[in-house]
Amino acid sequence: MNVTQNWLKTYIDFDFSPDKLAERLTMLGIEVESVKQLGAALEGVLVGKVDAIRPHPNADKLVLCQVDIGETDALQIVCGAPNVYEGMFAPVATIGTALPTGITIKRAKLRGEESHGMLCSEKELGISDEAAGLMELSSDLSIGSPLTEALGLDDVIFELEITPNRPDCLSMIGVAREIRAETGNDLKLPQVNGQEGEADINELTSVIIDDPDLCPRYAARVIRGVKVGESPAWLKQRLESIGVGVINNIVDITNFVLMEYGQPLHAFDYHKLTENRIVVRCAAENEQIKTLDEEERNLIPDMLVIADAEKPVALAGIMGGYDSEITEITCDVLLESANFQPSSVRATAKKLGIHTEASYRFERGADPEAVIPALDRAAQLIAELAGGTLCEDVIDVYPGRREPLQIQLRAERVNFILGTTLETNEIEQILSRLGFNVEASQPEENIYQITVPSFRGDITREIDLIEEIARVYGYDNIPTALPKGDIPIPAPNISVEVRRRIKHFLLGSGMMESVNYSFCHPNCFDKIRLAADNSLRDTLKLRNPLSPEMSILRTTLLPSLLENAQHNHNHQIDNITLFELSTVFIQGAEPARVAGILAGEIGEGVYGNPHRSPDFFDIKGTVEGVLDVCGTTDYVFKKTDDPTFHPGRNAEVLLENKRIGILGEAHPKVLESYELPYKAYLFELDLEALADAADFSKRFEPIPIYPSVLRDLAIVVDQEMQSDMPIEIIYSTGGELVESVRLFDVYVGDQVPEDKKSLAYTITYHSATETLTDTAVNDLHDKVVKQLNQELGAKLRM
Amino acid sequence: MKTELEAIQAEALEALKDVNSLDTLESLRIAYFGRKGKLTDVMKGMGQLSNEERPIIGKLGNEVRAALTEAFEAAKNALESQQQEQQLEAESIDITLPGRKPAYGKAHPVMQTLERIEAIFMQMGFQVVTGPEVETEHYNFDALNTPPDHPARDLHDTFYLTDGHLLRTHNSPVQIRAMENQKPPVRIIVPGKAYRVDYDVSHTPMFHQVEGLLVDKHVTFSELKGVLVSFARQMFGDQTQMRFRPHFFPFTEPSAEVDISCTMCRGKGCRSCGHTGWIEILGAGAVDPEVFRAVNYDPEEVTGFAFGMGVERIANLQFRIPDIRTFYENDLRFLHQF
Repeated sequence: MNVTQNWLKTYIDFDFSPDKLAERLTMLGIEVESVKQLGAALEGVLVGKVDAIRPHPNADKLVLCQVDIGETDALQIVCGAPNVYEGMFAPVATIGTALPTGITIKRAKLRGEESHGMLCSEKELGISDEAAGLMELSSDLSIGSPLTEALGLDDVIFELEITPNRPDCLSMIGVAREIRAETGNDLKLPQVNGQEGEADINELTSVIIDDPDLCPRYAARVIRGVKVGESPAWLKQRLESIGVGVINNIVDITNFVLMEYGQPLHAFDYHKLTENRIVVRCAAENEQIKTLDEEERNLIPDMLVIADAEKPVALAGIMGGYDSEITEITCDVLLESANFQPSSVRATAKKLGIHTEASYRFERGADPEAVIPALDRAAQLIAELAGGTLCEDVIDVYPGRREPLQIQLRAERVNFILGTTLETNEIEQILSRLGFNVEASQPEENIYQITVPSFRGDITREIDLIEEIARVYGYDNIPTALPKGDIPIPAPNISVEVRRRIKHFLLGSGMMESVNYSFCHPNCFDKIRLAADNSLRDTLKLRNPLSPEMSILRTTLLPSLLENAQHNHNHQIDNITLFELSTVFIQGAEPARVAGILAGEIGEGVYGNPHRSPDFFDIKGTVEGVLDVCGTTDYVFKKTDDPTFHPGRNAEVLLENKRIGILGEAHPKVLESYELPYKAYLFELDLEALADAADFSKRFEPIPIYPSVLRDLAIVVDQEMQSDMPIEIIYSTGGELVESVRLFDVYVGDQVPEDKKSLAYTITYHSATETLTDTAVNDLHDKVVKQLNQELGAKLRM
Repeated sequence: MKTELEAIQAEALEALKDVNSLDTLESLRIAYFGRKGKLTDVMKGMGQLSNEERPIIGKLGNEVRAALTEAFEAAKNALESQQQEQQLEAESIDITLPGRKPAYGKAHPVMQTLERIEAIFMQMGFQVVTGPEVETEHYNFDALNTPPDHPARDLHDTFYLTDGHLLRTHNSPVQIRAMENQKPPVRIIVPGKAYRVDYDVSHTPMFHQVEGLLVDKHVTFSELKGVLVSFARQMFGDQTQMRFRPHFFPFTEPSAEVDISCTMCRGKGCRSCGHTGWIEILGAGAVDPEVFRAVNYDPEEVTGFAFGMGVERIANLQFRIPDIRTFYENDLRFLHQF
């Protein structure tokens, strides 16, 4: 909400500069979001009156004006505005004035005639875009007075962010009370001494509250014989300065008092109320009301309304009804000042989608004790400014009256919580300035009985008082210390370690980390060709998604990575190597996954390090690396019929016969869905399963003392044979003397028969206990060759 | 013979001067030292000398042989060096050709920032704890002193799931879960994703937070200030100033918003900080007694503080990305910048 410096100063004295006030309020917890000096750039602009106009001797479109600015001699000013006339009041920029447009006014000769200033349009003053003619001023302004003062522009507007716990600060007086806490100066509240007429309100109307839980208090006054019209300039200025629209004197007064006290008021046309009376009740089935904004509203029975004898005339605490509003012909006014239950107002406002200054305050909690002062203040202003007569007495139905809340406060507890060493008199002073009544109930133990003022509904506990003390004392004044307590010993967390190792490995292998939204489009499962009954399609769905693209929670990371590839390809970036570590969402669990994509080209694409297309073995090697850094060794790759992948180029990863992930070349139809013109290789692994299988225990193994012997072996086998079958036979035949077997070549072509291929291995023979002799190695190697031939029909390639 | 030997030495030394390749050097060597070489020939005549002459001439012969051997060695070394130099010169390359850089990846910029924040708090003894992102109203709001009709619920625009769950709007539910599972002292940070219905240049519907919680027998607001000041100095530099402003959160009391001196203008006031000199980076406060009651801690027996910060916001103090949604496009040109 907005407050202005001049308006605040009518309730409390302070001599802070605007910036200082902004800083103090901010440090009290009322964040000042902006400070705007209204008329800052208009110094030197005065109210002038055009006394006489003569034609310009040398120009048809210009005239010579004699302008009175309250000095002995009138100024001669050359003017070309079409709307200038004798007797007009207009702003005069005197010599030396720097206008907001950047022009500085100098004495000048225009077509040979002297001009001692400038008559200004609104645009030239930066007030509006109106440039067609001079700004016309009201003729009741004082000639020669500074324009900013005359128009109430000599003011500073503060835009405040009021937190939801502080509805009491949604008013000028509320903010003034905070300044009192800071300065200790007294509040100057409006004096109300309304002259009541003879007619007794109790004979003119009545108020019945049907639902006292939802309406703890309802008060009314009647003012008769008002003349609805324009508000006086000062009132319009006040409202306009904080951005409240001006309507008519009656409505403007209710808005003014709303801003002054934070108490919403509503004025009814007394004669439009059936039987001229008020019933506060819940809406009946199928009732309707046309609200002030001319909308027909359908009501439901838990909405509280203000009704007359037969129908709703206002939505309680939210908005008045159209049919009973104040109009030009209104003569008698029933003025409402009431208090409504916050959650009921909140629910109704939310259901109907109406949010007003009134509902904003009632939702947060208005002060029930402000009902009468605000009502009296507004009634008096109406009588004064709209010329009515105030009826005798006030109707005040107050079923929700409560005793003021009392809270015990321990001074020791204040310092215990804050880490301060505040003296009791400092605590007493802070609370008193905030309007709390402080009574030392057990003085020897520094225990106080604190009475909470009615406007502080947010204060219900000792801790709330401690916060009040802290913020007025100043958070910056609270000393800074480091924690003294014991540091708890954390439990070991293997999955954190697994994640860390995998991430380091993948980064080290050249892949870039991506982070994607947890949301995805439901069509992503079709795009990756999941079977209709695949459990990954069983997703959690958002009730209020931002868009279809973000309407479900992802169950796999692969679509996100494919989308990343698509985005990059669309932007001509084709070296796609990305991975992501994230949780996915399945019913009732959030398992973590690691996934990656290689597509387009890898390598730098420079001389000496050319681009190349990734293939299945790049992604397989990446997965093998991930498994290795987790210390897992017993994994097996096995082909699957997963429809996301090329049927002949994929594998699931099995750990103890349990599938922990998948990898392979994306199926061409998947590539088509993501508009990728090249192959893409994907993997996704279950981090939980990896953490379960992870083994970080390491034991030293002696470095071999005896030399190894290397033998190469090339065999010709059937083309379909998997390359790991000979390896198993080599190991099983060679026993512990075979240290390692490495496949170094695969050949298909002229040198071998059709349907055959050649596989070439390097076998490392080694003994931990002796130097192997050539004879021993040759014998063993021959045995291996024989065995390969027997079991696989493998022939030695010569 | 003496004259002969001296002449051979002089002649050989003279001939060595003209040698310019290892091949000619070798031929010359054979011409003197070979089986039919000149020096060999002369020395063969030793047998015909008298007993008196033989030792004298023998000594001279040895001296000539040694001198010539040394001269031939020197010539050979010089020629070899010369040849190597020539070879090295021929091997010279264009060193402006590109280096063969091993591929290396980079962590996502938000993750880089998150990991730095984690590391700073871990040094202060905070344990990293995580929890579910799909939450209940109870953990996300009720247990955090935010009942259903509380206006503070408007502060967070929540994503709800069709099954009645919601996506956590902050990481605070994990604090509740941690306190339910553990007795004080508690000293944890909770990094992770949170969600709010928000999508513009400064908001993404998913974002990252790091929340912290410290609960013990006697934890004060002073200590909250101390921990956060240490954090800010390590994160933003040791000249960083910090400002604690009173604020409102349902789950802390007293509550504060915390500003650091603007990293651009060092507090003088500039466009980045709205000319205030300050930039808000986190919210914090003493744990509200109602939160302790919700987890069956006795607020008279323990006190504590909690804080929470948005990782994207902190990352962007450094990176200054005009539209933070860019973080989640995963454009490789973007990712490679950090």
